[in-house]
Amino acid sequence: MPKVVSIHSYRGGTGKSNFTANLATTLAVQGHRVGVVDTDVPSPGIHNIFSLEPEQAPITLNSYLWGEATIEEAAYDVGGAAGIAEAGRLFLVPSSVKADDIARVLKDGYDVKLLNDGFRKLVKALELDYLFIDTHPGLSKETFLSIAISHVLILILRPDKQDYQGTAVTIDIARQLNVRRMLLAINKAYSSLNFDVLRQKVEETYGAPVAGIFPLSEEVVQLASEGVFCTKFPGHPVSREFAKVAAQITAEG
Amino acid sequence: MSKGDFSSLASSIQAVASPFRQYLNDLHERYQGALDGAVADYIPELALADPHWFGICVVTREGQVFEVGDCDQLFTIQSISKAFVYGLALEDHGRDYVNSKVSVEPTGEAFNAIVLDEVTNRPYNPMVNAGAIATADLIKGDSATERLKRMLAMFKRYTGRDLDVNVPVFLSEKATGFRNRAIAYLMLNFGMVTDRVDETLDLYFQQCSIMVNAKDLAMMAATLANGGINPVTGERALDEHYVQDVISVMLTCGMYDYSGEWVYRVGLPAKSGVGGGITALAPGKLGIGTFSPPLDAKGNSYRGIKVCEDLSRDFGLHLFNVAKASRDLDGWLSGSGADSW
Repeated sequence: MPKVVSIHSYRGGTGKSNFTANLATTLAVQGHRVGVVDTDVPSPGIHNIFSLEPEQAPITLNSYLWGEATIEEAAYDVGGAAGIAEAGRLFLVPSSVKADDIARVLKDGYDVKLLNDGFRKLVKALELDYLFIDTHPGLSKETFLSIAISHVLILILRPDKQDYQGTAVTIDIARQLNVRRMLLAINKAYSSLNFDVLRQKVEETYGAPVAGIFPLSEEVVQLASEGVFCTKFPGHPVSREFAKVAAQITAEG
Repeated sequence: MSKGDFSSLASSIQAVASPFRQYLNDLHERYQGALDGAVADYIPELALADPHWFGICVVTREGQVFEVGDCDQLFTIQSISKAFVYGLALEDHGRDYVNSKVSVEPTGEAFNAIVLDEVTNRPYNPMVNAGAIATADLIKGDSATERLKRMLAMFKRYTGRDLDVNVPVFLSEKATGFRNRAIAYLMLNFGMVTDRVDETLDLYFQQCSIMVNAKDLAMMAATLANGGINPVTGERALDEHYVQDVISVMLTCGMYDYSGEWVYRVGLPAKSGVGGGITALAPGKLGIGTFSPPLDAKGNSYRGIKVCEDLSRDFGLHLFNVAKASRDLDGWLSGSGADSW
C-alpha cells in the first residue's frame, strides 16, 4: 500500500522544504519510489533544492489545477539532481514561481477535490510507494486536506515559544480531523541544548512522538547550500538522523 | 474562526478526503466508457440526451452527499415519478382504498402493456403505466393545477428544492401518448378510474416530465431510506407508515421486467426511468441516484445498473445479504476503517 506523508509547520522558516527533500531522498535511496508535491502554491521553493529550474519545468501543479495538463505531466524525475543513480525513483511536482500564476491561484482559488484526485492519480500513474506533500506554512484548505488524507503527518517545529503555540493549534486540528499518525521533528535546535531533555519535554507537551532532532549548524547550512544534503554527506550525523526518521515512516503502525 | 466554522470546514474536507468518494470516483472511471445501450428516442426531446452524460450521487442517512460526474445535469424523471406519486396516493386515501384500485403484483409484461387483472380489473402494480395512471387518478385536488401543485410540493419535500415540468417534453408525451390514452380509457370502461380521464392523463404526462438530476434522485432515495424524512432539510416527505409500501413495490416491480433479476443481483428497492435515471436505496443506510441516458433492452440505464451492482456487492447492501462484505460501509464513509490508497 502506498503511504502519504505530509510535512507541515505552523510558521515559515522551519526548514520544512529542506527536511522534505532530504527525507524523500533518503527513502528513494533505499529503493522506494517516491513522489514529492509542492502544494506551497503561494511561496514555492522545494524545486531549488532539487536544482529544478523553472525553465526546465514549464508544466507545474498550477497547470494541473487549471485543467491544462495531467498531474503526471507535471512530475519531473529529480533523482539525478538528488544524487540517485537510478532513474524513476524520485519525482517532484513543482508549483509555479511565475508571479502571474501565483496571483491567479490566490485570486481564483481552486477546487480542493481536484488536488485530492491529483494526489491519487500521481500515486497510481508513477506507482509510488511514498507520496510527500510539502505544504504552505500555517493553516489553509490544502493543510486540512493533506492532514485528512495522510498516513503520517510530520510537524516541524523549532524550539521557541511561537512555534510551541502554533504547533499546539495544528495538533489540535489534526486530532479533530482524525489524523492517522503524527510525528514531530525538531529543527534548528541549539547544540547547547540537551537533546534528550528537549525530546522528553516536547513529547510531554504534545503527546506525540519526536521522530528526530536536527541541530542548528552553520556547517550544515554551508554544506547544504546546493543539492540534497543526505546524499552528499551520507555519513554525517544529520543524514543519520534523517535515516532514523525514515525508519519510523517505513515501520508499520 | 469559530467552532462552527471549523466543524463545517473539517466536515467538507473529510467528505473530499473520504475513501468512499474515491470509491465512487473509481466506479465512475470504470464505467465511463461503457456506452452500451441506446438513448430513448420515442419522442425527439429524449433523443437529444448526450450518451456520455454520467453522474453518480450517494446521500447517506446522516445527510452526507457524495457526487461524481454529471450530478447537476437535468433530465426528465419519467417512470421514477411513479413510486413517489404512489406514496402520495397512499397518504391521500390509505392503504385499503389504494389497493382496491391498484394491485401490487409484479408482471412479466412490458411496462406499457395493455393488461389488467382479469378478475378484479385492477392494473397489476403502480410501476407499470396502467397502474401509474390509476395512481395519478387518485391524487386529490379540485383542479388540474392544484393536483400538479400538490405533486410538485411532494417532490420538493423529497429533494429539498423546487422542481419544474419540462413543457416541450410534456407536450410531446401528450401528443404521442396514444397507448397510455387507450389504457386509461380501458380502465374507465371497467370503472377503475374516475371520469376526469383527460385531466389525469395530463397530470400523468406532467409528472413524467418533471426535471431532476442525479443528486435529486439520491436525495429522494435517501429520504425513503431515512424513514420518509429528508436527511438534509429534516422535512418529512412521506408518512412513515407508507414508506415500506412504497419501497416494497420498488423492490418487486421497480425495474420493469428486469425486476426479478434485479432483486437477485442487486437486492435494493429501486426505480428506473427512460430518461436515464435510477433511484435506489439501502433502507436505514443511504440513497443512490445515477444518471446515464443509454438504456438496455429492458429500458433500464445500462451504466446505472452496473453502478448499483458494484455498490451493492462491494458494501454488502443487498437486502438479504448475511455475509460479511468486502468493504465496511461505515469505515469507508468516515475514513477511519479504510485505506483506499
